[in-house]
Amino acid sequence: MRAVLAVLAVVVLSGCASVAPWQRGYLARPDMGLDPAAPARALDKTYASKEAAAGGGAVGGGGCGCN
Amino acid sequence: MAATEGGEKEAQSDKNGATLATLMRAALALPVLALPVRAQAAEVGEIGFALLGYKERGLMKISEPLMWGKAQIGDNWTVSASALVDIVTGASPELVSNLSGSPMRTVTGASISDRRTAGDLKVTRRFGPLTLGASRAVSNEEDYRSRAFGLDATYELEGKLTTFAAGYGKSNDRVGSADNPDLDERRDTKEYLLGITQVLSPTALVQSSLQWSRGKGYYNDPYKRTLTFYPDAELPILYDDTRPSGRDTLAWLTRFRHHDPGRGTLQADYRYYHDDWGISAHTLEVAYQWDFAEAWSVRPALRYYTQSAADFYGQVVPRPPPETLSSDQRLAAFGGVSPSVRLTWRLDTITVEGTAGYYYNAANLRPGGGTEGFVPLRAYYGLVTIVKSF
Repeated sequence: MRAVLAVLAVVVLSGCASVAPWQRGYLARPDMGLDPAAPARALDKTYASKEAAAGGGAVGGGGCGCN
Repeated sequence: MAATEGGEKEAQSDKNGATLATLMRAALALPVLALPVRAQAAEVGEIGFALLGYKERGLMKISEPLMWGKAQIGDNWTVSASALVDIVTGASPELVSNLSGSPMRTVTGASISDRRTAGDLKVTRRFGPLTLGASRAVSNEEDYRSRAFGLDATYELEGKLTTFAAGYGKSNDRVGSADNPDLDERRDTKEYLLGITQVLSPTALVQSSLQWSRGKGYYNDPYKRTLTFYPDAELPILYDDTRPSGRDTLAWLTRFRHHDPGRGTLQADYRYYHDDWGISAHTLEVAYQWDFAEAWSVRPALRYYTQSAADFYGQVVPRPPPETLSSDQRLAAFGGVSPSVRLTWRLDTITVEGTAGYYYNAANLRPGGGTEGFVPLRAYYGLVTIVKSF
């Protein structure tokens, strides 16, 4: 838990640089996206059916009989 | 006088024109004009279709067509939905037996065939810096049914550099068995999420989120059994897969993105997972999307995964038999690597992607070694995606 808090603190403290609205174009690129699209979620589900770990980053996805 | 006033107006007009020209020149010098065309396009939605194929050497095969759509309605509403069909065929390991002297996994029974249909819908509404979302997901199989919903909220701080996220989800599942029509058990899970997204620079951002869940109900795998022979006993013991009646999990996921203008984008994801079954797992995926031509990019990626074994994992049934025991290899200690490569082609509002990947799990891929007797898993997958933006 201390490691989690340390990383969160670094994330917050490192956000001091200002980014103007007209500088956000690169951040809006699809390859800069953080939410996985449906195909990536399907692939994650396939991995989860072969491994014990699953989840992270979202809630309400539901389960399946694969694991 | 009128001529003088006219001259002043013309002079003022010239001055305004010069100021406007200066502003225009300044605007033209802004980095926004160096942005890729896609980033400037006022896209309000997309629709996509994908086909995922996955094949294990000697075991099962999965074909999964899926489609999805996303649309912005007005200034503040967004609706997204997806639907898929999972078609699973092939053989499934069901029994771990020590008949030959040491525990071995065997594939029994006829070839399995299962079909899963699933769909989800999400609606979000923006209220200034606050965005609220509600989602619903359903999944149906012959032997498993899931009904889930989720509520989430994100809040952007002034300047939009920092975004906080919180979420709550609930899943009500029913577990059945194709071999036992009388099996109809509940599995209920509550999920919670806290996260933060931070813009680090005009080309870098990071997101870190904690998701934890509390589950209770039926976790046994109705198809898995352990058969153990004892040297001093005539009859073996056939033990049904029996797991705890609850599972609490924690997943801490951190994602990092960095774009190198004119070259490509680095994508790195790390997840730490822990649950009260005694399993700890690490997942690291690093990818680089290289824009090697105006309409083309290639994305090599490498995923590494490792996990420890569940406390109740075992390949033989001890005497006396314990309350919980599972020989399901997915609960063993092992590691896995999955290299993949994706090729992307863009033409106006159409994007076509093809991904090919390899998946290999083995005991010796876990640092320090994994479970002895773990049967390596080798699989290939391919994913073709077509997306139309509008």
